[in-house]
Amino acid sequence: MILLDSVTKQYPGDAEPALDSVSLHIEPNEFVFLVGKSGAGKSTLMKMITKEESPDSGKIIIGGIDLDYVKKRHIPGYRRRLGVVFQDFKLLPRRTVYENVAFALEIAGMSGKEIRKTVPKVLELVDLLDQAKKFPHQLSGGQQQRVSIARSVARQPKILIADEPTANLDKLTTEEIIQLLKKINDFGTTILVTTHNENIVNTLQKRVVTLKNGRIVNDQKNNGIYKLDETPVPKEPVRVVQTPGHALRRPAVKATDSTVANPVVRPVATKTTKKKVI
Amino acid sequence: MAEEAKVVKDKKLKKVTKKSLRTMQRTRQRHPIRTQARIAKYGAKGFGRNIWLSTAATVVMAITLIILFVTVVASVILTSTAEMMKDKIDITIYLKPGATSAQLAKLENIMKSDSNVKSVETSNSEEEYEKFLKENEGSDEVISILDDEMKKLMIDKMQGTMRIKVYDVDNLDSVKQIVEENEDFKLFVDKSKAPTYDVNRVEINTITTWAKIARTGGIVLAAVFLVISVLIIFSTIRMAIFSRREEIYMMKLVGAEKNFIRGPFLVEAEICGIIAGVVAATVSYFGFMFMAPKLAGYGIDVTVITDVLESNKLILVYLVFMALGIVIGRLSARLAVSKYLNKA
Repeated sequence: MILLDSVTKQYPGDAEPALDSVSLHIEPNEFVFLVGKSGAGKSTLMKMITKEESPDSGKIIIGGIDLDYVKKRHIPGYRRRLGVVFQDFKLLPRRTVYENVAFALEIAGMSGKEIRKTVPKVLELVDLLDQAKKFPHQLSGGQQQRVSIARSVARQPKILIADEPTANLDKLTTEEIIQLLKKINDFGTTILVTTHNENIVNTLQKRVVTLKNGRIVNDQKNNGIYKLDETPVPKEPVRVVQTPGHALRRPAVKATDSTVANPVVRPVATKTTKKKVI
Repeated sequence: MAEEAKVVKDKKLKKVTKKSLRTMQRTRQRHPIRTQARIAKYGAKGFGRNIWLSTAATVVMAITLIILFVTVVASVILTSTAEMMKDKIDITIYLKPGATSAQLAKLENIMKSDSNVKSVETSNSEEEYEKFLKENEGSDEVISILDDEMKKLMIDKMQGTMRIKVYDVDNLDSVKQIVEENEDFKLFVDKSKAPTYDVNRVEINTITTWAKIARTGGIVLAAVFLVISVLIIFSTIRMAIFSRREEIYMMKLVGAEKNFIRGPFLVEAEICGIIAGVVAATVSYFGFMFMAPKLAGYGIDVTVITDVLESNKLILVYLVFMALGIVIGRLSARLAVSKYLNKA
């Protein structure tokens, strides 16, 4: 579904490349966490996928589309095939919750009838049907992020990418958002999430890809564990004890000082933020 | 072998990609009417939701249109006043009483031979009397004392006149020369009453100057005001859009086409333009109608404008104002949005 083949990207003026021959393959219906410190290259990788940036070398193939051939005029259409969720929600401030979700369908040229049918369904999925007429500033952070997720899944994309979706949220709301993403994954959407928050990574027991200095240093399928300080990453998969009729039991991860994540910590703005977006 | 397989794979990928992109391009052009309707809807909603900025833009635009109106009107009425006054200016030569029509016709022909002469009108004593009668038609007092004896006396005393209109009022030498030196004129011109060459001389000069200013200065002034006002409107709209540049960026990230992002902004500006046009036309109408009598009191010819405003051409004036508002608004908004649309 998502294929990166030795992708390298260096921003002008930087000593080290932001991404250094990164190769990554994500299968359909996978749920993948992309973790790493600020400046590790997570955001750059996300921007490559949304075609905000282009790689210096290497190949990116998303859902059967080779991004080399995606010209400027194709970009809006290409982006409509992706679901994208942002750290700062990026909701249209002057439009209501309903209109924000409808917007995603309107730009795809969907009929009014279809939109009136789809939007309530999607809002129900994120449990915001009763807030439809409110404006984003009247909602809490968690609610806004849920609107953002509703907007991105309204078109039923095959791929959903989320860039630090929980960085601005508290612990409880983070849990809600992750559960929501998991629900969407269960419907068959491939999901790629970047995060700082090791708790959610460890709770969910999904594939974890760790980036460090623009390189993939670890790729653990199915039951990844991630620690903020990245040392030591367990080489062997952590055994998950599963008893019939019971939910997955969490692996024992002791909360030390270094592992207590601050859920409201904002990542330092990376150098990519100033770059021109196509 | 591995290389070959890779080439084949790449070719296949390229084919698949191109096909997907073509499909995407096709969906892009789907439902143009539906898209336009949505753009209009969001434009109208945006106008309401940004009511303060919309109002500011509308006011600036209305002021601009009023300034434009004033400049154009000033130029038109001054030019027409100058033309009118020039047309009124004529040189009157007084003739001795008793000249016959045939004699007058001869004088007329001589005068017409001058290239500066636009028209010549003569009247003998009897015609002058008729004119006098006509002028006093309503006045019973005057008519009652006019018996046959009085009539004969008046015709004998009344002088024939020759009224000359010229093309160039600054150059009367040739006309003077004919009046003073031609033998036929010498016979008939009444020496005791001087021709009116220099009457209103100062006035003529003033009007000529004003006409020139109105023609050239008016155009320059209108151009300058137009540029200034477009700049003001542009920066007002740009300010309005600057505060919403994040929105433009977000729409791009979600995958909206450029037209779909730009459209509502253009519609908003157009609504501003239409309202500004109506407001400006109304203010201009009442303002001018209020000022017209005062201006007319100064001898300025306002009829050119009042004729338009008082007829059903008034609706045309409104349409022109609205069209100007739409054009200016749309242009400014397009410029302002494109900056963020191409950047973000």
